[in-house]
Amino acid sequence: MEKALVVIGLKKSYGDTVAVNNLNLEVCKGEVFGLLGHNGAGKSTSIECILGVKKPDSGEIQLLGKNPVKDRKQLFEKVGVQFQQSNYQDRITVAEICEATHSLYKAPSDWKKLLQVFGLGELKRKTVSELSGGERQRLSVLLALVPNPELVFLDELTTGLDTKARRDAWRYLELLKSQGMTIFLTSHYMDEVEALCDRICILKKGSIIAMGKVRELIDKSPYDSLEDAYLWYTGEEGAVNESAYHLA
Amino acid sequence: MRALITLLKTELKLTVRGMDTLIFGVVFPCIVAIILGIVVGSRPAFEGADYTFMQQSFGAIAAIGICATGLMGLPLTVADYRHKKILKRFRVTPVSPALMLGIQFIVNLIMSVASFVLVLAVCMLFFGYRMTGSFVGFAMSYLLVLLSIYSMGLMLASISPNIKTANLLCCLIYFPMLIFSGATLPYEVMPKGLQRAANILPLTQGIKLLKGTSLGTPLENILMPVVIIVALAIISIGVAVKTFRWE
Repeated sequence: MEKALVVIGLKKSYGDTVAVNNLNLEVCKGEVFGLLGHNGAGKSTSIECILGVKKPDSGEIQLLGKNPVKDRKQLFEKVGVQFQQSNYQDRITVAEICEATHSLYKAPSDWKKLLQVFGLGELKRKTVSELSGGERQRLSVLLALVPNPELVFLDELTTGLDTKARRDAWRYLELLKSQGMTIFLTSHYMDEVEALCDRICILKKGSIIAMGKVRELIDKSPYDSLEDAYLWYTGEEGAVNESAYHLA
Repeated sequence: MRALITLLKTELKLTVRGMDTLIFGVVFPCIVAIILGIVVGSRPAFEGADYTFMQQSFGAIAAIGICATGLMGLPLTVADYRHKKILKRFRVTPVSPALMLGIQFIVNLIMSVASFVLVLAVCMLFFGYRMTGSFVGFAMSYLLVLLSIYSMGLMLASISPNIKTANLLCCLIYFPMLIFSGATLPYEVMPKGLQRAANILPLTQGIKLLKGTSLGTPLENILMPVVIIVALAIISIGVAVKTFRWE
C-alpha cells in the first residue's frame, strides 16, 4: 500500500517535559487513522510536528512523500488541516473566510456546497464571532476540507457538536473516505473512533502504548467495547464509571 | 493572483470594519488639516513668503496618513494575526510569507492614499489650497516616503516576538516621529536645537522632500536622501521576509 504519512523516531520536548517520545507510525493512502490519548498525551504536538508547524527535536516525517517544511507550498495544496483551536480575523464573516480560504488553492472544493453539507448555509452573512461553539467547530472542519485534500488532519473534529451534527459529520467523512481521501483524526469519543477509524494508535505520556486495527485492539483486551479497552490500555479502567459521563 | 485579489478584498473590508486605521490614518489627518486651515491657513508662511502656511504644511499633513498606516496599521495587524494564531492557520496552506506581508502592505497603501486624497480635497475645497510645485514630483516623493516608513513597519512586525513588544516598538517610533518630524508640529516653529535633533528622523527628511516638491522650491542634495531611503527600504524588507515567523 502506498503511504500517505510516515513518521520515524519523532521526538519533541518542552524543557524537561517530554511531549512526544520516539513516535513511529505509518498511515496508508485511503485509510482513516485515529490518534488517541488523554489530554496532554502528545496528540496535538505530534500533529503539529508532522505538519512542520513545530520543529521536532529529532525524527523524520514524510507527508505524501514530501518534507513538510521544505515542500510546504506544494504539499499544502493537497493537505487540509483543522487545528484543535482555530481563530479568525476580527469581524470576518463565514462567507468571507470560506472565500478567502478557497482562493488559496489551485483546485479547491465548492465551498457553498460544503456550507450546505455542514448545515451552515443560512449563516453565510454572520460574522464568525457570532457563531455558537458547535457552529464554529463545524466551520473549522469545513475549512480543512476546502482544499479538496488528499489527506486531511482533524484534531478533535466533533468536540462541542450535538448528536445530529456529529452523525452528519461522520456520514460526510465516510463519503470522502469512499472517494479515497486519507483522514488522520484525534478524538475523545470512542463511538466516533469505532465508527470511522480503520486503525488507531493510543498515546500515553508521549509514547505509543497500543496500535492496530480497532477490532484487534479490542480483542487483545479483556473487554468487548472500545471504550473499556481504551481505558484498560491507558491503565485507568477504574475510571470507567466516571467516563460514562463524557459519552453524552 | 486569485489569492492576492480575494485576500486583498477581504483584508480591506476588515480594515474598514476595524475602524482604528480609518480613524488614525484617514480621519485624523483631515482633522489636522481642518484645524490648521482654520487657525493659520491663509496666512503667509512667514513675513514676505510667497506661499501660505497651509501650502507649507501640506506635505507634512500628507505624511501623517503614511505614518499611521505604516507604523501602526501595518505592523500591529501582522503582530495581532500572529498572536491570535491566524498566521498559524495560513502556515498550513500554500500561501507565502511574502504574499501575507504584501497584502497588508497594499491594504495600508490604499488607506494611506485615500487619506491623502481626502486631505487634498479638504485643503483645496475649504482653504483654497493649490499645489504650486510639481504634482508628479510630489507623488514620487510620497511613494518614496511611504516605501521607507512601510518597510520599517514590516520589519517591526517581523522582529517583534509578541504583540506587546510590537505595540511598544510602534509607539516608540510612531509618536516621536509624528511630533518631531514636522508632521503635526510645524518644523519651522521648532527651536534650532530641536530642528537639528529632528533631522536624524528619516521622516523629517521625507517631509522636507514632500514640502519641497509641493512648493516647487529648489531641492538641494536630493540624491543622497533618496539613495539612503531606498537602500534602507530594501534592507528592511529583506529582514522582514527573512525573519518572518508564522507563530
